[in-house]
Amino acid sequence: MPPRRITNIDDSDSDISILDDVDIEARGKAKGKGKAVDRGQSSKSKSKAKEQPYAWEATYTRSWDTVQEDEAGSLQGAVEDLIARGRRRRLLAPAAAIRRTIIRHLILILDLSASMLDRDMRPTRFDLMLQYAREFVTEWFDQNPLGQIGIVGMRSGVGERAGEMSGNPQDVLRAMHERHKLEPAGEPSLQNAIEMARSSMSHLPTHSSREIVIIFGSLTTCDPGNIHDTLDECIKDKIRISVVALAAEMKICRDLCDKTGGQFGVAMNEGHFKDLLFELIPPPAQRAAVSRAAGASATNLSADLMMMGFPTRLPNTSPPSLCVCHSELKSEGFLCPRCAAKVCDVPTDCDICGLMIVSSPHLARSYHHLFPVKAYKAVESLVDTPNPSPTCHACSVNFADVALPKPGSAMEGMSPIGRYRCPDCHHDFCTDCDVFVHDVVHCCPGCGK
Amino acid sequence: MDKASHLSVILDLSPVQWHLFGQSTNPFPLSLSSFLSQLLAFLNAHTACKDENTLAVFGAFPGKSVLLFSSTTGISEGDLGPADANTYRPFKMLDATIMKSILEELEELSGAQEESPLGLVGALTKALCYINRTSSAASSAPAARSEETNLPDPRILIISVSPDQPSAYIPIMNSIFSAQKLKVTIDVCKLFGSDSVFLQQASHLTGGSYIFLERPDALLQYLTMSFLPPPALRQLLSVPTQDKVDFRAACFCHKNIVDVGFVCSVCLSIFCQPVPVCSTCRTKFPIKTLQRLNASKPPAPTANRAAIPATSLPRSTSIGSGTPRLTPLSNGNGTVHPPSQNGTPR
Ligand SMILES: [Zn+2]
Ligand SMILES: [Zn+2]
Ligand SMILES: [Zn+2]
Ligand SMILES: [Zn+2]
Ligand SMILES: [Zn+2]
Ligand SMILES: [Zn+2]
Repeated sequence: MPPRRITNIDDSDSDISILDDVDIEARGKAKGKGKAVDRGQSSKSKSKAKEQPYAWEATYTRSWDTVQEDEAGSLQGAVEDLIARGRRRRLLAPAAAIRRTIIRHLILILDLSASMLDRDMRPTRFDLMLQYAREFVTEWFDQNPLGQIGIVGMRSGVGERAGEMSGNPQDVLRAMHERHKLEPAGEPSLQNAIEMARSSMSHLPTHSSREIVIIFGSLTTCDPGNIHDTLDECIKDKIRISVVALAAEMKICRDLCDKTGGQFGVAMNEGHFKDLLFELIPPPAQRAAVSRAAGASATNLSADLMMMGFPTRLPNTSPPSLCVCHSELKSEGFLCPRCAAKVCDVPTDCDICGLMIVSSPHLARSYHHLFPVKAYKAVESLVDTPNPSPTCHACSVNFADVALPKPGSAMEGMSPIGRYRCPDCHHDFCTDCDVFVHDVVHCCPGCGK
Repeated sequence: MDKASHLSVILDLSPVQWHLFGQSTNPFPLSLSSFLSQLLAFLNAHTACKDENTLAVFGAFPGKSVLLFSSTTGISEGDLGPADANTYRPFKMLDATIMKSILEELEELSGAQEESPLGLVGALTKALCYINRTSSAASSAPAARSEETNLPDPRILIISVSPDQPSAYIPIMNSIFSAQKLKVTIDVCKLFGSDSVFLQQASHLTGGSYIFLERPDALLQYLTMSFLPPPALRQLLSVPTQDKVDFRAACFCHKNIVDVGFVCSVCLSIFCQPVPVCSTCRTKFPIKTLQRLNASKPPAPTANRAAIPATSLPRSTSIGSGTPRLTPLSNGNGTVHPPSQNGTPR
């Protein structure tokens, strides 16, 4: 079948900005319903990006434009505003545990067509894409330690497998390491690349997610058949497709995302490109989990119980022995808890008994998604408190004695006396600790849980 | 020791464990008072190493955790008593403050409180919050960005005498990950009792040392030789590192420490036996999987092993030999617990 060009592209500037406004609104609604958690941050950065000119209109990057000094010339107000926004975002997030897909499989499709040589993003679209893709992979594995990523390139009308599906970030980064092997050329083919990605995910177990992320810089696709058939197949295989477009919105790209439940975005400048890409990192909340659970006793097909072994790590001072994976003589390694075979690296499947071996910290990294710390309440005044503690319960810093009058809507959700109280243990915490406990530690120092 | 360093010490002050430790039936008993005198010598050594060294001491008591001493907060002069010509004044201040606050906290403990679980998690998170505040204050104020305000090489030393509390598994893991983010090294000095699975992982993941004291009466020597030098110097000194790291986890249903577990694919909750419904996210699992897992599960040993507390892991197993390291238990405890629906970890 001769290649057929799809040219239904919205490429007038006004259309794009309208569509993007709609996109922002839709996201805002999703947040209100509590379906998506961390969207407050992203929609904020998106609206920030919207005020900025397109990348090709700007002459230089002005990151300091986003921070405003107050009358006294201090940045304190801006910093506090940022903290206040973070607090409000937390209060909006649902307190109950939400289901997230934690075992993820992702194929990253990179556009390696000639249009990636455009210089509207500095230094070129191609170099920027490689740089962000590497950062994306590193961060993705940090948050999804049990996931796997494969890389597919779109070049000269075909899909090229640049890196096999792997759970080791080093393997994936190596696939993108050699720039000259990925040198852009020719036309991209969405259909060929998606078919290739689909076939490499067909064998996966049902409980893992299948996702495709496409970074697309071209305005055309050069396909051997009807791409809508491919789209239908992806819907049937429950593959989520997300597209980050660098040029303009294409109807087919938006369809791919909308119909498979993915996210679509057009990057307006370098920072926005990174925001769009990094939005895809946190494990997605499982869609329609509520309705499915309510749907009688039908078991959740995408869920399963897996048997896993937690190994013992041997130090490099132990007597050397052969590993079962490479038959090499070495000291360090992990012992399978069931058959005591020695493997080089985890997570893996034991070569002897087939048990899936993971180190428990891999699992534990995602537990804070399941048991979030309750948001602390801002203490408005100490009138109701009989014996207010003079210091922060966590870091023992002294609280300010007098309330600082801080009028203004920006301070909504902020305590005028800088005290935040845990609803469970009723201890008071300072602003620094409030942010640190909720964003990093995920454990209240007062309750110890 | 060119750079100043910050040390946060977390003391496990469980009265029950210290009582057991001090009993003369132990091969090497160590009483709380002799422990404290050795510890104070170590803390004095740390502050004496460099003028800018900072110190914070947290106490983990049953049911609570307290900041006992911090070198950044001032101490009222009246507490010190008469000046002593033979003692360096900062040492005296440190010793008096720590002893006084430990005494106060111990006297406050009521009988019922002594049974409540140790506030180790609270002490650990407080230490992290303390380091976070002091280091962020140093970096956000550009004018004050001098040597003294910065906290280079922050580290936490946990001196533990209590066994693991499986219920603290998730908070401890969360603390470990935040320590990694703050680039804080966690050292563990285990004086008494069995090896701690969680603290082993803490020091392994943050690049610290976990040392189980074979001779607790030589405590001061261990402290000064292994934990006094900051992490940067440790490589040169070849401080003893861990023998083996046990990567086992606690199951969510009974808080047992397991080496083979059943994991929910949605939320990664760990269970010690196949369950029909995940107690954390309420996911129902296919019946086929349950049948398959129940069939493939080795009959008695798994149930038994699941119930083995961390204590029974042999301390030195032959490594690399093909023999299973499992020691069979014949305590008749091979009963399988009924699946619990309400066991969410806290
Ligand atoms: Zn190997
Ligand atoms: Zn095995
Ligand atoms: Zn605080
Ligand atoms: Zn609390
Ligand atoms: Zn259990
Ligand atoms: Zn679950």
